[in-house]
Amino acid sequence: MMPVRTGPLHTLQAASGGTWGQLNGMPTPLRMHSANTRPDPALADVSALLRCGLKGPGAQDWLSAYGVPVPERANSWCAGARGGLVARLGRSEFLVESAWNDAQAMEIAHALRDPVPGVYPVLRQDCALLVQGARTRELWLQTCNVNLFDIPAQNREVTLTTMVGVSVTILKQPLGNDICYRIWCDGTFGAYLWETLLEIAVELGGAAVGFAEVFPDAATLPTITL
Amino acid sequence: MSGFRLPAGGRIDRARVLPFDFDGRRYQGFAGDTLASALLANGVRLVGRSFKYHRPRGVLSLANHDVNAMVTDGISPNLRADGLPLCAGMRLLAVNTFGSLHSDRARVIDKLARFLPVGFYYKTFFRPKWTFPHWERLIRRISGLGQLNFQAARPVSAKRYDFADVLVIGAGPAGLAAAVCAGRAGARVILVDENAQAGGSLTYARPAGEAAATAAELLAALAAQANVEVRTATFAAGYYADHWVPLVDAGNITKVRAKAVVVATGVFEQPAVFRNNDLPGVMLASAAQRLIHRYAVQPMREAVVLTANEEGYAAALDLLDAGVRIQAVIDLTRTGEKCPAALEVAQRGVRILLEHCIVEAHAAGDGSGVKAVSVAPWNGSGMAAGARETIACDGVAMSVGFAPATALLHQAGAHMRYEELPGQFVPVQLPEGVFAAGRVNGVYDLADRMRDGERAAWLALAHIGLGTHVPAEAARARRAVSHPFPFVEHARGKNFIDFDEDLQLADFYNAAQEGFDNIELLKRYTTVGMGPSQGKHSNMNAVRILAHILKQPIDSVGTTTARPFFHPVPLGHLAGRGFHPVRRTALHARHQQLDAVFMEAGMWLRPEYYARSGKSKAELVREEAKAVRTGAGLIDVGTLGKIELSGADAGELLERVYTGRFRNMKPGTTRYGIMLDEAGVVIDDGVIGRLAEHKFYFTTTTTGSATVYRELQRLITMWGLRAGIVNLTGACAAINLAGPSARTILAQLADFDVGENAFPYLALREGTIAGMPARLMRVGFVGELGFEIHMPSEHAPALWDLLMRAGASHGIRPFGVEAQRLLRLEKGHIIIGQDTDGLTTPFEAALEWAVKMDKPFFVGQRSLQVLHKQPLRQKLAGFMLERDFNATPPKECHLVIRDGQIAGRVTSIGWSEALGRHFGLVFLAPDLAKEGMRFLIRVDGGAMVEAQVVSTPFYDPQGLRQKALDPAPAAMQAVSA
Repeated sequence: MMPVRTGPLHTLQAASGGTWGQLNGMPTPLRMHSANTRPDPALADVSALLRCGLKGPGAQDWLSAYGVPVPERANSWCAGARGGLVARLGRSEFLVESAWNDAQAMEIAHALRDPVPGVYPVLRQDCALLVQGARTRELWLQTCNVNLFDIPAQNREVTLTTMVGVSVTILKQPLGNDICYRIWCDGTFGAYLWETLLEIAVELGGAAVGFAEVFPDAATLPTITL
Repeated sequence: MSGFRLPAGGRIDRARVLPFDFDGRRYQGFAGDTLASALLANGVRLVGRSFKYHRPRGVLSLANHDVNAMVTDGISPNLRADGLPLCAGMRLLAVNTFGSLHSDRARVIDKLARFLPVGFYYKTFFRPKWTFPHWERLIRRISGLGQLNFQAARPVSAKRYDFADVLVIGAGPAGLAAAVCAGRAGARVILVDENAQAGGSLTYARPAGEAAATAAELLAALAAQANVEVRTATFAAGYYADHWVPLVDAGNITKVRAKAVVVATGVFEQPAVFRNNDLPGVMLASAAQRLIHRYAVQPMREAVVLTANEEGYAAALDLLDAGVRIQAVIDLTRTGEKCPAALEVAQRGVRILLEHCIVEAHAAGDGSGVKAVSVAPWNGSGMAAGARETIACDGVAMSVGFAPATALLHQAGAHMRYEELPGQFVPVQLPEGVFAAGRVNGVYDLADRMRDGERAAWLALAHIGLGTHVPAEAARARRAVSHPFPFVEHARGKNFIDFDEDLQLADFYNAAQEGFDNIELLKRYTTVGMGPSQGKHSNMNAVRILAHILKQPIDSVGTTTARPFFHPVPLGHLAGRGFHPVRRTALHARHQQLDAVFMEAGMWLRPEYYARSGKSKAELVREEAKAVRTGAGLIDVGTLGKIELSGADAGELLERVYTGRFRNMKPGTTRYGIMLDEAGVVIDDGVIGRLAEHKFYFTTTTTGSATVYRELQRLITMWGLRAGIVNLTGACAAINLAGPSARTILAQLADFDVGENAFPYLALREGTIAGMPARLMRVGFVGELGFEIHMPSEHAPALWDLLMRAGASHGIRPFGVEAQRLLRLEKGHIIIGQDTDGLTTPFEAALEWAVKMDKPFFVGQRSLQVLHKQPLRQKLAGFMLERDFNATPPKECHLVIRDGQIAGRVTSIGWSEALGRHFGLVFLAPDLAKEGMRFLIRVDGGAMVEAQVVSTPFYDPQGLRQKALDPAPAAMQAVSA
C-alpha cells in the first residue's frame, strides 16, 4: 500500500475547498468550479502525478533498454510509451512523469534501487502545475522573461528558466483541443510560486482549478473528505 | 472658457467639458486636453516655479518634457502638466512653492540670484564642516521638486516583459513608415510613442491637413496589420544590452526584448538663450504649433517669432492662421530663409528683422507673462550690437534649432559625429540590430523621413532574417536646421541654458574659467543635464557653449555619457510588484498549526520558536531546550543541504573536497566534515554518510547547499571523475528527533532495529518508518541521543504526526532554531558563518582535529601548509560570565577590548539553564585564548563585562549523552568555571 503522500500545496489548496480525491496516495482537489465554469487562466496542481528522474552517462541507454522513449534533443520532451511524458533536461538528465492513471515512473524508480553504473536516480518531489487559457500569455509576461507563449508547441521544447525568481522547468503540450503549460519546480518553492502566480491569475480573471477540470477522466476518482 | 480656445480644430472632444482645480481656482477644459493646454486655453500662463530661484515658469515644449510645469495631486509628487491628460475633478497644485503659486514666498531667492551662482554651496558651506548638514537641509527644503506623500497607498504596478521582432521607438513619420514596412514583411512589431496619439510631428506640423492625412494613411496601414502593436503614451526609458528596452506607460514598466530596434525618436527643439527667456509666454515654436493643432489653443495674442530656420517661418504661418498678430520675425541669420514659408510670411506683411536677436524679454506685471521684447542687431556669436528696439508682445515663439533624441542610441553604443549641416550629431556607426531613422538620423524632409523609416525597417528585417531588400542610403538634410550659437549675452544674466536647474549662460563661462573645461567636468560642476529632463533642452546648448569657449569644433567637445533612464520613471513603477522567493519546508503547515514564530534563514522560513500564550520568547526557548535535555524534542532540519553522490570515484571526490578522511569509511557510518576554499578558509560543514561502496549521502549548511552542489559539479567535470551528484535539498525533508527518549519513540514506528547495538552513535541506516522510506543518521549536534531522519518530502507531514503522537507520553516537544542554537552552543559546536567569517581557517576555529594534513590533497591544503607556519591571528574559545552576573549581557559581535584595542569579538552567546550562567564562543587574540584567562567585552552603551575563557564543550564534555552512555536523563554534566 502506498503511504500517505502530502503535496507541497496541500494546505493552500485545502483552504480553497472544492471536491477532493486521492490520486496516487496524495489528496488532490479534483474540482473547484461547476462544469460550465472555465477560469482563464486556470491553474491546476498536478503534483500528485508520479514522476522520477535519472541522470548520468548511462541514463539514456538505460531508459531505452527499459522501453521508455527518449527525446533525441537536449531540452526537449516526448510522450511516454504508456502516456505521460519524458523530458530531457540537458544532455544526460531525464524526468519521467506518468499519466494520471499510470505508475510507470514509480516502477522505474524501483528498478533503479539497485545501482546501475553511470545511472543516478533523482528523487523528484516537485511542485507540478498545469496552466491553460488564452490569458496565460499575460500571466507569463508578468512573471517570466522568456517568451514562452510564442514557443511552438510542436517543437516540444523544454525550457529551464526562472519564473518569479524561482527555477522552473516548463514545457508546452496539447491537452484535449487546447494548449497547456506544464511547470515543475522544487517543492519547497511550490507554495510561493503558486501564491504568486495565482495572485496575478486572479487579477487577470483566472482561478485555481481542480485536477479533474483539466483531466476530465479523473472525475471518476473516488472523492474524499479532508 | 476664455478666448484662447480656437473655435475649431484640435484633437479634443468639445462635447465633454471637464472641470478641474489648479492652485485653488476652478477651470474647465475638454477631454483630450492636457493640464497645460487647458490652463493656456483659460489664459493661465504661470504653471510652476523653477527649481532653484523659484522664478515663474510656464510651458516651454508642450512635449511632455516641461519640468518647470510640475504639479501634484497630493499622491504623485511630480506630474508634468504638459503631458498630464485632463480628467474631471482633478485638484492640482504646483510643486516647490511656499504658499500659493502666485505668491510663492521663496520667490525672493530670485532677487538673491547673483549671490547664488553655480557651485556656491561647494565653496560656501564646507567650513566649518559641522555646519554643512544644516545648510544641506535648508537647501533641500527651499529648492527642488514635489514632496513624497508617505501616507499614500502604494500602488501595485505589474512589471511586465514583452517580445518583438522589431521594436520601433517613435511614431512620427519615420517610425510609422518603419512599422508599416516591418509589419508587412510579417514581423511582430511593437511601435511605441510617448505622445497620447501616434503621428509625431504630423500631428502639429504644417501644412496641418496634409500632415494629418499622411498620418491617417500610415495609421490605417498599421491598423490593418494584426502583427503590429501600437503603444501610445508610452516611452522607451533606456536601452540595455541584447535589445532590452523598458517601456513605461501610466501604469506599468514593460521590459521588451526585441530582435531589432529602430530608433525614430526625432529631435527636441532647443530654446534660444536671451535674458528672461524663461518667462511664461516664451515657448518653443513647436509648442505653439502643438497648442494650435492638437488642442485648438491660441498660444498668444501678439507674438514675436525668433527663428534661424524654415521651421520657424512655418510656425509663424500657423500663428497667423490661428489669428495671432505677429509683431515681428527676428531672424538670427544674415540672409534669412528662402523657403516658401519665409516668402509667404513676408507676403503676409509680417516685419522680418534679419541678423537680429532678442536681447531681453520684459516681464508683465507680476512676472507671469511677457509684455515686450528688446531686439537688436547681433554679431552672430553672442553679442548684441547696435540700437535696441522694444517690441510689445505677449508671447515669443522660438525656433532656432534642434537636438536629436540620441540618448537611446548612445546607450546602445552608437558612434555619433557632428555635421555642420543640418547642425546636429548624426549616427555614423550603429550597434548590431539597432537602426536609426528620421530626424534623429539627420533626415528632415517629410518624404525623406518616411523613406528613411522604410530603409531602417528593411535593415532590421534583414538583421532578423525576414528580408533581403537593400535600401538606398539616408537622405540627410543639407540645410542649416540648427543655429550654431543662438546665445545672447547680457550683463544682468537670467539668460537660461538649463531650465531644470536654473543654469545661466554666465555659469558656463565661470565653470570653464575655473578649469571645468571638459564636457563631463562641466556637467558635474554646473549640473547641466542632471535634472528631470536629463538635458533634453540644455545638453546640446552646453556643448555649443563649451565649443565656443574652447574655440574647438563641436565634434571634439563631444557629448556627455547617456545613461538610462533618460526620462523620469515613477518610483512606483520601479518598485512594482516584487518577487521575493521564499522556501517553505514540507512541514511548514505543521509549524503554523503549532504557532511557530518564523525567521528567515537564507531563503527559508524556519520556526525560531513555538509561541504559547503568556510566555516570553526566552521562557519558551528554555522550555524547548529543556524538553530535549530531559525527554524528547523534534526539530525540522529540512533546510540542511542534502546531496547524494554516486559513482566509482565518489569517495575520491569527498577525499579531495573535505579535509577529513572518507575513503576508509565503512558503509553505514557517518563522519563530520569541513570544506575549505583555496585560501584555506572554512566555507561549509556537514555530516557525510556512506550508504554503499560507491554511494554517499551528505548534508551541507542551510545556506551552502546550492553553492556546494555547483562547486562539486564543477570539480567532478574538471577532474574528470566517475561520479554523479544529485541535490536532494528540496526533495528530502529531515527531522531531528533528539533527547533521552528518542530511541523509545522511534522504536514504536521504525520497521528496523534502532537499538544501540544495531544503530550506534554516528551510524547511518536505511529502512522504513511506518512504511515510509527513510535514511537515519545517529547525530549529536544538540548533545543528546539523536536521530536525524531524512525522507521524501511528501511523507514528512505524516511522519511528523506519527512522531508527535508516539512521543506524547515522553513529553515530546517541537523546538525551533533558537533552542537548537542554545543546545549546540552548550556542546561547543560551531555554526559556519556565525562562529566563523570569511577569513576563518580551521586552526582559528579550533577544528584542527577535522583536518588531515597528511592526506595527499584536499582543497585548501596548500594554503593551510603555509598558514600553519605563521602565527595565529585569532582563536575561537569558550567563555563564561560570572554566575551572579545580572546586568545586560553581551551580544553577538560585541568586541573584546584590551588596552583600548580590539582583541576579539563574541560570535555566539546564550544563557544555559544547565550551567546557570551566560556562556558562549569568542574569537580572541591567541594569547588571550587560554583556559582561565579573563577579558573584557564592551557591551551596548560602552560598559565592560568581564568574562573568562573555559574549555568546551560546556555540557557533557565526554559526549556520553549523545552516545547514549549516560542513563540518567536529568544529570547535567556541565563544566564549571
